[in-house]
Amino acid sequence: MVLMERKKRIRYNLSFLLLVILLLVLFFLNLVSGSVQMRPEEIINALVGRTGDGAVILWEIRIPRILAAFFLGGALSVSGFLLQTFFANPIAGPFVLGISSGAKLVVALVMILLLSRGISMNSLSMVLAAFVGSMICTGFVLMISGKVRNMSVLVICGVMIGYICSAITDFAVTFADDSNIVNLHNWSLGSFSGTTWDNVKVIVLIVIPALFFVVGMTKQINAYQMGATYAQSLGVNIRLFRTVLILLSSILSACVTAFAGPVSFVGVAVPHLMKSLFGTARPILMIPACFLGGAAFCLACDLIARTFFSPTELSISSVTAVLGAPIVIYVMLRQHRKEWDG
Amino acid sequence: MKENGFYVRADKVSVGYDGKPLIRDMELFVSRGEILTLIGPNGSGKSTILKSLIGQLELISGTVYLDGQPMKNYTKKETAERMSVLMTERIRPDRMTCEEVVETGRYPYTGRMGILSADDHRAVKDALLMTEAQELKDLLYNEISDGQKQRVLLARAIAQEPEVMVLDEPTSFLDIKYKLELLTVLKKLAKEKNAAVILSLHELDLARKISDRIACVHHHCIERTGTPEEIFTEEYIPQLFEISVQDYRRYFGLPCENLPSGEQHRAVSGKLLRCGYTTGTCAAAAAKAAALYLLKDEAAGYISIRTPAGSTAVLEIEDLHRTESEAGCAVTKDAGDDPDVTNGILICAVVGKIPEGITISGGKGVGCVTKEGLDQAVGEAAINSVPRCMMREALREVMDSAGYTGGLKVCISVPEGEKIAERTFNPRMGITGGISIIGTSGIVEPMSNKALADTIRLEIRQAAKKDRKKILLTPGNFGLRFAKEELGLDTGSCVVCSNFIGDALDAALENEFQNILLIGHIGKLIKLGIGMTNTHSGNGDGRMETMAACALLAGAEQETLRRILSCVTTDAALSILQKEGRLKSTMQILGGRIDACLKRRVPDTLPVGFVCFTNAEEFGGVLMQSENAEELMKRWRIKL
Repeated sequence: MVLMERKKRIRYNLSFLLLVILLLVLFFLNLVSGSVQMRPEEIINALVGRTGDGAVILWEIRIPRILAAFFLGGALSVSGFLLQTFFANPIAGPFVLGISSGAKLVVALVMILLLSRGISMNSLSMVLAAFVGSMICTGFVLMISGKVRNMSVLVICGVMIGYICSAITDFAVTFADDSNIVNLHNWSLGSFSGTTWDNVKVIVLIVIPALFFVVGMTKQINAYQMGATYAQSLGVNIRLFRTVLILLSSILSACVTAFAGPVSFVGVAVPHLMKSLFGTARPILMIPACFLGGAAFCLACDLIARTFFSPTELSISSVTAVLGAPIVIYVMLRQHRKEWDG
Repeated sequence: MKENGFYVRADKVSVGYDGKPLIRDMELFVSRGEILTLIGPNGSGKSTILKSLIGQLELISGTVYLDGQPMKNYTKKETAERMSVLMTERIRPDRMTCEEVVETGRYPYTGRMGILSADDHRAVKDALLMTEAQELKDLLYNEISDGQKQRVLLARAIAQEPEVMVLDEPTSFLDIKYKLELLTVLKKLAKEKNAAVILSLHELDLARKISDRIACVHHHCIERTGTPEEIFTEEYIPQLFEISVQDYRRYFGLPCENLPSGEQHRAVSGKLLRCGYTTGTCAAAAAKAAALYLLKDEAAGYISIRTPAGSTAVLEIEDLHRTESEAGCAVTKDAGDDPDVTNGILICAVVGKIPEGITISGGKGVGCVTKEGLDQAVGEAAINSVPRCMMREALREVMDSAGYTGGLKVCISVPEGEKIAERTFNPRMGITGGISIIGTSGIVEPMSNKALADTIRLEIRQAAKKDRKKILLTPGNFGLRFAKEELGLDTGSCVVCSNFIGDALDAALENEFQNILLIGHIGKLIKLGIGMTNTHSGNGDGRMETMAACALLAGAEQETLRRILSCVTTDAALSILQKEGRLKSTMQILGGRIDACLKRRVPDTLPVGFVCFTNAEEFGGVLMQSENAEELMKRWRIKL
């Protein structure tokens, strides 16, 4: 028995170590690779001395982008983990349920509206718009989930909501006549490119406090994994808990959508990978693990997006979809089989 | 401040959904150390009551007191420290091990991050041990069976160290073994940890076993509360569940077992549950428990055993003790106040290891066979073949599961047996030194006769409500089985009338049945041959005299008649007639007399027929029947 405990502990520690190493490697790779080739000494000079052309590229382009991918990737997968807890189902996630697309739609509409009046949006208003969008879609999803118990149906509804929102977004984008439309188009496909330090500041200011709250709810999340009835009997204020959970998850995914556009499947794929890696779903481990794992996943995807067909950049969502969707399908099949068996 | 010592008390509480009360003004209370069970038909509101007690549903009106304080005065944490639940909601926690599930029970006691202390781990371990779920602890909850899940959830509720535990249908998904274990755990929880337990159950037999008090939910209220003895009456339970007394009896496996050779008579008790289990079942259960203790070191609180009737009996085990090579225990023959002398006596079994085989012997208080013609050979202990068979089967099962390859010897004893036997038919039947292990040995106290006859009348009245066209009567289980298995009749509407054949006929007449068919063992029906319509042996015997008279008319020799008169059982007498070649003719004469007796009791306008049989091997089957029997039987033939 004690042996088992120790084995588990070793597994947890090794897993965290692996994530940290992975992150460091990805940091490094993201730093050195890009459309502008840099020699090692140039990079060191640029980092330490902040001199030369390289410094601008590193400090103004690559590092903010890395930080954005790090925090947003983490936020996205934590948001997915929260939704999975909420719906008691491992295939729930902000993209799958159409919440990201809802955020995208509202952001696009607000952006077009403001741009046509010559006002450009700042980071905070983008986040706000995205948050409103995710809340509206979450509301829809909650309404549907009250009617259907079947998770697959819910996911299909989510995907449909996502399509509707994307279609309306495309429609709006097509008919918006502004030179900034190009940016808008890029954004609506999803990308970490063009992140500024200002953006990073806002991201950190939103994601860190939200994460702080999530960590504070570890115990309640653990109880809620047993279902509402048992959680309530253990002393959890269910209504408050559910509200806070949905709000936090929406804030996190809205933040991602506001800065990087809709990023697909990370919210389902990463928590699943982390649960498999750690062999548990304990929130006390999963919250940090999902954050680190999501960060690593997005850094890796961003690296691929930037370098695979360099100098052409892929949209981040295309990469995460290729890597993430198969995992989602796998989880869904496993889930489906269990529903039939169980 | 404790209020009347009740730990949980519902005061004028109305509960329901969306403000519409389903249960009105209920009063409910339970003290620590007490088990309260809610029973009632599906949809009567048991779950709603439990959900309201645990605060999942808001009360419509009234107050629930917990430890003397209104429950709403407690914080959620304070409530969680006092009350834990096991509800029917199915959960699918993703990738949680069973241990992690049980650990969630410690929630009220852990800090902000929910990290478990050494104490918490100890409580989790204890809970796993108590529910025997230790071996599940590292398995994923979603991948274990439903029964195992239920045990894990129970462990979770125990780990919460509650002062009151609320369980909604905790036995769902459990097989009989775990049902019993669950009950043992709940009893332990109540008695050792002094917890109050409130649960709902579908299984009435289990509810009766486990509960200190029972509350019946029916007609939008708690219709009745009382001890199991007060609630489980043949009058009330069928009314509560809107079933017939017959169905109710069948549910409880009553009448339940074979009796030797039809001689000893099985009392149909006025109140059904009192029928309890026969000495044979008690002996087999005791033997099984002792073997479990000896071979597997398992001290079972309850034992389940299959009765020959096919139902499962659950008996409480007492006084388990063991030495290196032997183990023993006792079972109280639980028959309520069945008018039966064996009621309340202890039946003990001692099991020891021997090189091979299973031997069964009788100890103190178990009779010894001294006359021919009984179930067992002369010199053997009066433990009949049916209980012997049950014991062998139970012991084999234990030996197999323990992987034990040697043999076992069982000694059954009945401390008070010798004294009680004097009041039975045993001395007359040639069984000395104690009672027989099987049903009872026959004496019924006359005081309950009226109650018994009334019960049968009630049953017939209920049968009339279902189908007034025809009624099938049989004195006992033998007849019931014979009608079903040998004659292929539909025994769904069969009334078991015990010795009260005359009363049953009268009742059938009163209820305007159009056809009556009586199917019975010769041991009973022969008495109709001298016009005895109450075949109770306390009213006189006359079986052999009747047989001799008929044999005389059939032309039997004087020597044959003398031998018949010295017989103990009808089968022995039949065997003599068989050898003399006068069985058929004697039966014909007897049949005529029985027919005449029936006709005297029932007017000519009402067709009444009978089928008389025996189970004896050499001439088993129908011995005789009335002329109209074939015609009548058609009405009961099961249509395929």
